[in-house]
Amino acid sequence: MGFSIFFFIAFLITSLFIVMKKKLSIVDSTFIYLLILVITINVSWIVIEELKLIKVTKEAMNYTAFILTRSVITPMILVVQLNLIHKYKMKSRSFWITVASIAILLLLRVLSIQFDILTYQNWNLGFDAIYFLILHLVAFYSHQFFQKLSYREVNEL
Amino acid sequence: MLWENFDKNEISILIMLILAFIVLGLLPKRFPRNITLLSLLWGLSSGMLFDFTIGGGLMDVYKVNDLQRYELFDLLYYLLFTPFSYFFIYFYDTLGINKKTFIWYVVGWSIVGLIVNWLLTWLDIIQFQNGYVLPYSFSVFLIIQTITGVYFELIKSRQLS
Repeated sequence: MGFSIFFFIAFLITSLFIVMKKKLSIVDSTFIYLLILVITINVSWIVIEELKLIKVTKEAMNYTAFILTRSVITPMILVVQLNLIHKYKMKSRSFWITVASIAILLLLRVLSIQFDILTYQNWNLGFDAIYFLILHLVAFYSHQFFQKLSYREVNEL
Repeated sequence: MLWENFDKNEISILIMLILAFIVLGLLPKRFPRNITLLSLLWGLSSGMLFDFTIGGGLMDVYKVNDLQRYELFDLLYYLLFTPFSYFFIYFYDTLGINKKTFIWYVVGWSIVGLIVNWLLTWLDIIQFQNGYVLPYSFSVFLIIQTITGVYFELIKSRQLS
């Protein structure tokens, strides 16, 4: 059951990205996706395998749901969020889009616990909220850096 | 942890990293900075995605360096992927790979990947376990390099349109 739900969510977020009117170029979106992928892979490995703060299931299908969340759902949510805040340039809208994005990621964590995909050992939702907030800040500022890098080069030419 | 024993595998990683980045620096500039940065990140993320999905966790088919745990030289090993993804895209563009040559280019690079993979096992940088054998890596390289080539074509078509 857990696998089916997370597979559906992965399908949903990827489809949403494909059909949405994108404000970021394909290169920008890929850069953010890959950067967040590298961070989520490393953070989840350190938190789960090294520090043993969270336990992940050993059941194959549920483990695949964990891999989907780590490698597809979380980075894609960040990419969609960044596209949306560039679409609605008002600061208040950007704030609420970010809050909604963090809330969705937290909800997915709750679902992971409900389906025994993850078990908190010495971890809680508060730490996750901080982690997701940092992920959003990293995505936002690294995108600004990436854009400046391209813009500076255009000006230099 | 930084490393268990500083010996053959650690020294080999350092030498390969230095050589790869020297070659990268010596190659004439071909792409805008954002594409260069993206191609470097592409290698790092695709290497990490496969290693942390099949190389560790539930499948755990190979061990990197001396320990099952994450050490500094594991990170340096992953950094080794960055110049190679750049080389793949660089020569893809330089050689003007098209629909007729795409398959040969991907197969050629996959064979190179397989040889490097063998070298990494010979240098004790990676050790296969749980039934994993070297030929399986060929499938991994075919997948990664096909996606890389197709993605590069997509970017080129978007930039031209």
